[in-house]
Amino acid sequence: MSPARSATPWARAWQRLRRRPPALIGLGTLILIGLLAVIVPMLSPYDFATPDWDALLQAPTGTHWFGTDALGRDLLVRLMWGCRISLLVGLAASLISVLIGVLWGATAGYIGGKTDSLLMRTVDVLYSVPFIPLVIVLTVLFGRSFLLVFVAIGAVSWLDIARIVRGQTLSLKNREFIEAARALGLGDATMIRRHLLPNLLGIVIIYATLTVPAVIIFEAFLSFLGLGVHAPLASLGTLVADGAHHLKSHPYLLTIPAVFLTLIIVSFGLLGDGLRDALDPHEAR
Amino acid sequence: MLRFILRRLGVAVPTLLVIVTLAFALLHATPGGPFDSAKHMPAAILKSIEAQYHLDEPLWRQYLRYLGNLLQGDLGPSFQYRNTSVNELVRVGFPVDVLVGGLALLVALFVGGSLGLIAAIRRRTAWDYLPMFFASLGVAVPVFVVAPLLILIFAVQLHWLPSGDWRWGQPRYLILPVTALALPFIAYIARMTRGAGIEVLTSPYIRTARAKGLAPRTILLRHALRPILMPLVSFLGPAFAGVLTGSIIVESVFGLPGIGRYFLVGAINRDYTLVVGITVLYGALIIAFNLLADLCYAWLDPRVRLQP
Amino acid sequence: MRPAADALPASKCHNSRELLPADSGDCGHRFYFVNRILNVPIRAGVRLVGLAVGIAALLGGCGDRADGPQRRAPASIKLGTALAADQTVTRSLRDMPRTLDPSLLTDVYAQYVVDDLFEGLTVLGADGNPAPGVASAWETSDDGKHWVFHLRHEARWSNGDPVTAADFLYAWHRTLDPKTGSEYAQALAPIVGAFEIATGKASPDALGVSAPDPYTIRIDLVAPTPYLLALLCDSFMQPEHRATIERYGDDWTRPEHIVSNGPFVLRELIIGDRITVAKNARYWNASSVHPSRVVYYPIDQITQISRYLAGDIQFADDFPSDQFRYLKTLLGTQVQMSPQLAIDQLGFNMLQPPFAANRDLRLALTMALDRDVLANKVRQGAEFPAYTLMPPLPGYTPAPPEWAAWSTEHRHAEARRLYAAAGYSREHPLHVQVDYDTNESSRDLFDAMAAMWRMNLGAEVEPYNEEFRVLLQNLRLHKSLLFAEDWVGDYPDPYTFLQLYETGFDENFSGTSDPEFDALLKAATSEADVARRYADFTRAEARLNEDANYIPYFYRAARHLIKPYLKGWQLNVLNRIPSRYLYVLEHEGD
Repeated sequence: MSPARSATPWARAWQRLRRRPPALIGLGTLILIGLLAVIVPMLSPYDFATPDWDALLQAPTGTHWFGTDALGRDLLVRLMWGCRISLLVGLAASLISVLIGVLWGATAGYIGGKTDSLLMRTVDVLYSVPFIPLVIVLTVLFGRSFLLVFVAIGAVSWLDIARIVRGQTLSLKNREFIEAARALGLGDATMIRRHLLPNLLGIVIIYATLTVPAVIIFEAFLSFLGLGVHAPLASLGTLVADGAHHLKSHPYLLTIPAVFLTLIIVSFGLLGDGLRDALDPHEAR
Repeated sequence: MLRFILRRLGVAVPTLLVIVTLAFALLHATPGGPFDSAKHMPAAILKSIEAQYHLDEPLWRQYLRYLGNLLQGDLGPSFQYRNTSVNELVRVGFPVDVLVGGLALLVALFVGGSLGLIAAIRRRTAWDYLPMFFASLGVAVPVFVVAPLLILIFAVQLHWLPSGDWRWGQPRYLILPVTALALPFIAYIARMTRGAGIEVLTSPYIRTARAKGLAPRTILLRHALRPILMPLVSFLGPAFAGVLTGSIIVESVFGLPGIGRYFLVGAINRDYTLVVGITVLYGALIIAFNLLADLCYAWLDPRVRLQP
Repeated sequence: MRPAADALPASKCHNSRELLPADSGDCGHRFYFVNRILNVPIRAGVRLVGLAVGIAALLGGCGDRADGPQRRAPASIKLGTALAADQTVTRSLRDMPRTLDPSLLTDVYAQYVVDDLFEGLTVLGADGNPAPGVASAWETSDDGKHWVFHLRHEARWSNGDPVTAADFLYAWHRTLDPKTGSEYAQALAPIVGAFEIATGKASPDALGVSAPDPYTIRIDLVAPTPYLLALLCDSFMQPEHRATIERYGDDWTRPEHIVSNGPFVLRELIIGDRITVAKNARYWNASSVHPSRVVYYPIDQITQISRYLAGDIQFADDFPSDQFRYLKTLLGTQVQMSPQLAIDQLGFNMLQPPFAANRDLRLALTMALDRDVLANKVRQGAEFPAYTLMPPLPGYTPAPPEWAAWSTEHRHAEARRLYAAAGYSREHPLHVQVDYDTNESSRDLFDAMAAMWRMNLGAEVEPYNEEFRVLLQNLRLHKSLLFAEDWVGDYPDPYTFLQLYETGFDENFSGTSDPEFDALLKAATSEADVARRYADFTRAEARLNEDANYIPYFYRAARHLIKPYLKGWQLNVLNRIPSRYLYVLEHEGD
């Protein structure tokens, strides 16, 4: 006898997810990269900071599997650290911006009227704030704490999600099932939580997976302005940016970090698509 | 509808004012000034330069002066490009960005939208996985890798296209920058279209339409397209505003005389008027495009009631 | 009075530390300093045409000699050289010039373009030495404080007006007028009264410059200034066309308004894209100008490499050192490197612990740095290691510290000893931050330095990058303990570098105050004889090195990519290659 199907839509969604190979591949890859990022530095004889003046800019060999950089540091270890940082920043910052964006946008779209206007005009203003001076002022005021990276990224990336969610809410708001729920006397909070959000999830997940790569690259840009990981640590974005300099001369410095970045992004994408499919209330299977 | 538009335009004015004020304050809060130099400058000369640019006045007076000029359409003199006004910098640079950016986004809309729709219709087949994989690539590979790569391939190795520079009226100079700019947008739009597409195409009323026996094309174009466009429109509003004010990287890599660089160069050199000026431009574009997006919502989904 | 010929030293290519300035190989130019010539005591009032002939003769070089002693003959082209039909030269600039107004220039890139558009009393020769420009001859007094320049009558503005002394006086007064707001007015400080006028303390007639007739200019200097001729080549000493400026005001530098007197005129200026200049038919020496057009592209250092490889740029000005080895392998002799009058160094905060009054610690840090590794390994041989403040300058004898010649082990051992003597050890390491200006290529360099200090001493130095103006503010407020302070010389004389450590100098960010050093500087700057002057500077520099006030690490190198069919250039310490001498050989492909 087959196990009783759980009542909650979440468990059902998980089961659906399990049946989608691409999503599983994505999830698996992310977990694998995460594990490697933790384990490899522990096992490797090299660390991310010690230079080796005699082994500069070496292509991948037996001793250095991914080669070395301009200071003779092992690229494999540095890459693993970079993945750690970027995964952390990417996930955390994306989560934060999704949370803020969804709340903001759903509230604006659902309540409408003056609240909508106020919330959305604030979004307009925040879009327009000149970002680089803002970052400079923040670094001067708060020094170079890593937390500031999240603040800076968070300050900007939730804006798009808020707009998208508001748009979707506007159109969902007037649908029949919402009217029905209102007729049933459900309170606003319950409505938002149980009826609005599940329908928003799809597009939010897609956009969240699109936010992760933007955040990772953005973090590299921030370190150019003096904010972000302290040298000699490097994030994945920084490694890619530095590698781009050596596009012609030492392509492995770019291609290897870029491959990892791509793997991470594609995995997020596959996972996101799978999640979207799995959580879609209309989905038959 | 008209009342809505008028109301929004009315709100636009205080919004722009807030934007100007914030930008002005932020720029002046940044340490250092436009005439800082590592080399010695006698105090009398610094005073004279600052007087020329009214930097010696109290901040509130500088602010009011700026607002006064702004109302007359004068964005002020550039602090770093001596003897050039911000108006002129914008006048020369903005059309370049409009052309390159606008073209890129339109291309992205067409290509990305098509890919996404096909992926949605034929989901979980090769038509879905392959384009979406390449779409992820487009998102993953940053533009500062793509752009030099394009130059390396098409200009240095193949000599098919110029490696940079800008000539009005010669499409050759457009191709690489537009491609580099469009690629990430194609990826975004394709993925979002696919997501929205699947949701719409599996929704009850589309199934009803299919059950009624309507031709697939009619279903797609007349019934499905509009709700699919909704999230796209939300995204495209700020995207247009952003792309029309230029991409720092594409401009610097291809040597395009646009205004995107000014965000970076102006901030670094504390060119107050330049940064506030293009911020105002950007803010105006954001407001305008978001208004357009809202109008589109109403057009795309008749159930949406626009409340000003 | 010694005849001109004897006054000239035996010409030889100056071979300082194997840093030979390269040339295009077409003419074996001699590289010497015109300073030496001018030490000849001349009875006031005696015109020395012979001197001018001597200069012209030696600067003329091989090949075709231009007609007459009055005409300068720069890098002349050998007869029979096949020239390309299109003599358009394309060059890169690292950034867009902010303005082309000679009085208002602040950046080096603008200087390149202004070198093409305007001509001063003297002009840069192909070898980077000052040569007669609008002035065909000059003489100086015994004490070196009074100069008289004789302008040639055939010099013209691009609109046909003659160039006269009034144009120079107008320009210099304009530069010094505080109302103009020139950020580099202090460059005229050697002239009597200039500083007072610029600071608003004196009226313009206090300036020690006069024009007894339209073709003569007399300059009175505060102190002997052997580098005056080099100064006169710079933008802020160029003449300006008064009528144009009065008519068009701020817009006078636009292509449609500008009037200039140099080998080229401005044709187009598209901000962010390119600057085009075309040959000035009215230039008095137009026959010596080879290019018909020069196009400048302001692009960043990495992108210009692609543009160069694609053939869109013939002369790529300065690429990052991490591309050096690769490009050298790929392009061979197209990669050229030469020392510049610039130094990369770290400064100590001499006002606060841990470095104030702690010579042992300072010495330990500077000795523990392996400059050869930094230059040859980290920077792939694309930089010159530096042990003293003064970059190589012909005629100047540097005073490197004794330990510069020691073996690495000896140096490290001594550094460790000093480190311990200062009270630190691996268990109780020094913790300090080194602040530098945000820069992509610097990050690796400072990581390497931090690693060296950690490995060799056990000191924990943390690199900290800040945005430029933020860093500048911290430096002015003496908040930074250890900082990067790259310095470019304003003119070819040691004072522009040693001044950095003079008490009270605005950019003395370290806060150094050493009365003996100040006294040595004062003695040097009042010395008219160049040899004695330089010797005094050497003594002053030796004192700095003894005290370990700073950590020099690189003499900056200029690295260029130059197409093999572009000729006429000669690299020099000022890193200014006037376009007029360049020419394009017939060639195929890019």
